[in-house]
Amino acid sequence: MTQYVLRRLLGAIPLVLGIATIIFFLVNLAPGDPTLLLLSPGVTDEVIQQMRENFGLDQPVHIRYVKWIGAMLTGDFGYSFTHSRPVADVLMDFLPNTLILSASALLVAFLFGIVLGTIQAVRQYSAMDSSLSVVLLFFYSMPSFWLALMLILTMSLYARNVWGLPIYFPASGMMSTDYEFLSAGGKLVDRVKHLVLPTLSLALVLMAGIARYMRGSMLEVVRQDFVRTAHAKGLPERTVVFKHALRNALLPIITLVGLYIPFLFSGTVFIETIFAWPGMGRLIVEAIFQRDYPVVMAGAFFFATMVVVANLVADLLYAVVDPRIRYE
Amino acid sequence: MSRGPETVVEQPVSGYAASARRPGGRGLSAVLPGLPQLLGGRWGTGAMALLTWLGMGLILAARSDRVLAATAGGWDQRVALATLLLALLASWIWSWREVAEADRLKTVGVSQWDLAVRAFSKNRTAVAGMIVIVGLYLVALLTPFIAPHDPNTQYDLLTNRLVGMSAEHPLGTDQFARDVLSRLLYGARISLSIGFVAVGISVTIGTLLGAIAGFFGGFIDGAIMRFVDMVISFPRLILLITIIAIFEPSIFLIITVLGLTLWPSTARIVRGEVLSLREREFVQAAEALGYPKKRIILRHLIPNALAPVIVAATLGIGNTIVLEAGLSFLGLGVQPPTPSWGTMVAAGRNNLLGAWWLSTFPGLAIVFTVLSFNLVGDGLRDALDPRLRS
Amino acid sequence: MDMKTLTEGRRMGRQLLFVGALTAMAACGSEPVQRPIPGVAFCQEVLPAVEAYVAQARQANPVPDDPRYGGTAVLGSIGELADGMNAAVSSDYSATQHQQFVNLMTLIDYDENLEPRPYLAERVEIAEDNTSVTFHLRQDVFWHDGEQTTADDVAFTYEVVTNPLTAFPNAAYWDRYVQGSEGVEIIDDFTVRIHMEPHAEFLDPFRSLGILPEHLLGDVPPQELKQHPFGTQCPVGNGPFVFYSHSAQDRWVFEANPAFPEALGGRPFLDRYIYRVIPEQTTLLTELLTQNIDVYSGVAPDQAQRILDDANTELVDFPSRQYVFVGWNARRLQLADPRVRRAIAMGTDRERIVEAILQGYGTVAHSSVPPFHWAFDEGRIETIEYDPEEAAALLEEAGWTDRDGDGVRENAEGVSLSISVKYNQGNQQRQDVAEIMQSQLADIGVEVQPQVVEWATLLQDINTPELRNFDGVVMGWVVEFKLDDMDLFHSDRIDQPFAWSGTENPAIDRLLVELGTAVDRNMARELWAEYQNVLIEEQPYLFFYFPSRLIGVSSRLENVTMDQRGVWLSARDWYIDPASR
Repeated sequence: MTQYVLRRLLGAIPLVLGIATIIFFLVNLAPGDPTLLLLSPGVTDEVIQQMRENFGLDQPVHIRYVKWIGAMLTGDFGYSFTHSRPVADVLMDFLPNTLILSASALLVAFLFGIVLGTIQAVRQYSAMDSSLSVVLLFFYSMPSFWLALMLILTMSLYARNVWGLPIYFPASGMMSTDYEFLSAGGKLVDRVKHLVLPTLSLALVLMAGIARYMRGSMLEVVRQDFVRTAHAKGLPERTVVFKHALRNALLPIITLVGLYIPFLFSGTVFIETIFAWPGMGRLIVEAIFQRDYPVVMAGAFFFATMVVVANLVADLLYAVVDPRIRYE
Repeated sequence: MSRGPETVVEQPVSGYAASARRPGGRGLSAVLPGLPQLLGGRWGTGAMALLTWLGMGLILAARSDRVLAATAGGWDQRVALATLLLALLASWIWSWREVAEADRLKTVGVSQWDLAVRAFSKNRTAVAGMIVIVGLYLVALLTPFIAPHDPNTQYDLLTNRLVGMSAEHPLGTDQFARDVLSRLLYGARISLSIGFVAVGISVTIGTLLGAIAGFFGGFIDGAIMRFVDMVISFPRLILLITIIAIFEPSIFLIITVLGLTLWPSTARIVRGEVLSLREREFVQAAEALGYPKKRIILRHLIPNALAPVIVAATLGIGNTIVLEAGLSFLGLGVQPPTPSWGTMVAAGRNNLLGAWWLSTFPGLAIVFTVLSFNLVGDGLRDALDPRLRS
Repeated sequence: MDMKTLTEGRRMGRQLLFVGALTAMAACGSEPVQRPIPGVAFCQEVLPAVEAYVAQARQANPVPDDPRYGGTAVLGSIGELADGMNAAVSSDYSATQHQQFVNLMTLIDYDENLEPRPYLAERVEIAEDNTSVTFHLRQDVFWHDGEQTTADDVAFTYEVVTNPLTAFPNAAYWDRYVQGSEGVEIIDDFTVRIHMEPHAEFLDPFRSLGILPEHLLGDVPPQELKQHPFGTQCPVGNGPFVFYSHSAQDRWVFEANPAFPEALGGRPFLDRYIYRVIPEQTTLLTELLTQNIDVYSGVAPDQAQRILDDANTELVDFPSRQYVFVGWNARRLQLADPRVRRAIAMGTDRERIVEAILQGYGTVAHSSVPPFHWAFDEGRIETIEYDPEEAAALLEEAGWTDRDGDGVRENAEGVSLSISVKYNQGNQQRQDVAEIMQSQLADIGVEVQPQVVEWATLLQDINTPELRNFDGVVMGWVVEFKLDDMDLFHSDRIDQPFAWSGTENPAIDRLLVELGTAVDRNMARELWAEYQNVLIEEQPYLFFYFPSRLIGVSSRLENVTMDQRGVWLSARDWYIDPASR
């Protein structure tokens, strides 16, 4: 097993490097560079040239590439043009925000997905099964930004102004402006309140996939002999479902977690923009538009690494979970 | 899912051709195709036929002028005309033949295909989704007849701008005094075709590569799967944004990029199927008979591996439509003045509190279209997977 | 693995996550007393001094017993303050406004009549021959770390912005001043003299330039100023508000300066002022309507009605100093003839476009001179009105007729009058302009193809002299109160990036030079009228409109004055209605 893991890790290195290379050339060969955005009447050519040198853009592409790879291997991700800070610092600022958001979205999605999928399996082909399917797929079919806007309008604006509800949620941000003055408990509540709408926007979309998977898994388990035996023994439905079937049905779901890890970093661009959440997705997209090369490349590289790791984790979990699978 | 041997049964199988109930028989079928089947309990296909017939008839009646003009019109209109006539013929002929066949005992096979179709038909939501999709494509093809206005005509900016729903403009007008309903209809074509073509491209590439990888195994398999891994690990949204931002956004570019990033999952699925199929007897028999590898792949393996691919493709179309909406949100979608649902939603989002119809109708259109694709895909998955049937 | 352990595990995991998040937040500094200090060495030295000074100043200047004092005002806007408070490298509108009115101080500012009045400079002397300006500085202004603001700071700032190595974005403002250290003379600790050529509006640049602290930035090589942490991580100013914290792409927090000179109003009423970055306009509107933010800067015209309808918000609108136009590339065949360009102007119903796109919040532009400018006099300019028949006639006269009946005109060689109009992706208004033009011009036989291009790519297309890859481009210019179109229209600058239109018109050249040096306003009026008329005739740009700037303000925020001088003009006078606290 350890051999397998090592082999996979070794194989991952050229993969990640390959992706990084492609992204580097893609972004750097694009027309326009960051100095263009600084051009204003009166700024002379020499000055622009000077800035290019400052940014290290005057050298030919392949030399820049070599330098960049070298720097990366030593952990130096360069200096962001637009943030005027080391890229590593910038990433460290934005990463936790995205993590908090997507982790809570995944938690909610998995929780509800599992519960709903189980209900669906237990009541297969009933009205509840069909209607749950439709409702879940309804949210799954919505563009996430539209769902987000609808949620803001209903649960923030209308809830407060039109319907006068006692509970309404803030439309943006990670915390309120007087966050520092709140008590510890107040801070927690504040953070949770700000998390609700963005998390819902993400989780509602994810739930359908997970519920679907759970349903399939439960159905498969329910047809197996040991379940039939449990029924034959006269055990009540509840015990059969919760004590026997569910545990086994949950195993493949665990591997699903691994597959959703990449989502943690990429699925959130639209939500971050609408909810003014300072996260990685927004960071990278704006860096692309402003040709902030170091940030784009570091971000993409980081993401690729995460995906590779996630795939490995998923495969390993699968082996852990299913004793029939053995890797050599 | 293989076309196994057919079991011949001498009696009508229940629920299929069982009831020779076609109230009204051929007579009713000649006037209102689909109605006999509908009354006889086959509400899915009956409804489709009847609605098609009535719909086409309505168009002929209400838009006779445009229909006549279409004979001399552009390519667009001729396609619409052809669709109209074909739809009329198809529903009529189908209904007629179906009534005719119901009168005699049928030999019915219980092939996998039949079982699948039966399972699918039982799934009401899936059938509903199917009807919506067929209806959508029909509408998209017939848009030159149906749309009340030209989608790009700007009426009087002072008086007709951001007007709500009215008789003249059933879904209101947008910020340029253009009719929203017409833009919605023309936008359907764009969104549907982007989805269809992009998924088409990805399915083709994915199936071929996956089949080759699964069949040959060894080094080729390794190389192709490495490549697949790389494309999957790529941060897709970043790639999309980078490419589209750098080169000018156009429908062509969007379709190509979407297609080229969606194929890896199909490849993986096909490879898995082919790997398991390769050991089956019929493949070994083909090899023993000395069939060329290409033939084995194309005519034996791929058709049998298609079931999960079809499911994935159907779900993929839905995803692509949503992705296109997302790209429009970032300003990277289809260029104006061409309407697409995504750009309509994005352009109208500052008006959500005032002229809400600008974003809401295209948004609902996206949701219901994608929902239908997803329902159908789900239904297909349930129907084709023997383990999930009760 | 059974269900119970799983759920418990999940719950624990969730708690752990939140605790972790909280700890992270605490590390970023969440106690109200201690300001957060970024890890950069420069900030670690500078901010503690600020903290100490502010604490001491609070002791020395207790808050007056007036109910208006106190509270936090929050302003939301779409963009981040690019380059922050670094006046030497930033050109972003919101950022420069914060430098002028919030965190730094400028030597002078303008009153309601746009006449200069003292601010950091107590007194201004102008030499008889207009070759120098002498500023006598106030002696009661201190940097937020305790150092006094002196002539050294002014001299330093001046040298830095006139130094080409800094790449000051608005270097053109300082064209007619003596560059570098030769241009500035320190007379004594609080007196500084600046040398220049006589020219028009020579005080305007001093209204927009925030003065930077020499004792903190004096040793920084100019080319490194852009990347220096001073701008976005730990600025130190001398203005009414002290920098407290900045989290990237999220918010800037400022607190009141207790030691701000009494003569200038003393400590601001507000305890804190927060600038929030919210990239989505619907979200901004919702936050304003749910009273989470007090000011929404940059309201879209279509949202204005909603703000007017709501009982708790008010709409402020004022003419902005920005105009939207379509820049023509007159090097292209179809656009080389000024008659064609004039015909296009005649074929565009700009009044209607202002009504439609801006909901009436704006005025049609005929030239680069804004309507509130002293040199603007509608009676003396011959404007182009919407007249499609005249336009068609003019096109015919210029040799463009529809020869093959396809609805688009061609010239004698068969080239069709088909123009692509580029605009940058992400800007809805410019897209709207292009789309409406397309529709209206189709009526007179001109085919317009809107083309969306990503911002950086677009800049390269239009700014690269060898490329000039465009026919028309929808753009906007922000003008200062001193108008200088030399870089845009003068034939000497035709190979420079901003000569998009490639204009070579001797009358324009002459007028530009004369206007630049005309010190006397009365004399200049004639010239301005002539200039505008020549511009209209030449049509290097199709000037569209001056949009009004729309701001949504919560009614609990009082003393808000906003006009073309800026949005943050009265920031130090804002206070929160005590009744609504």
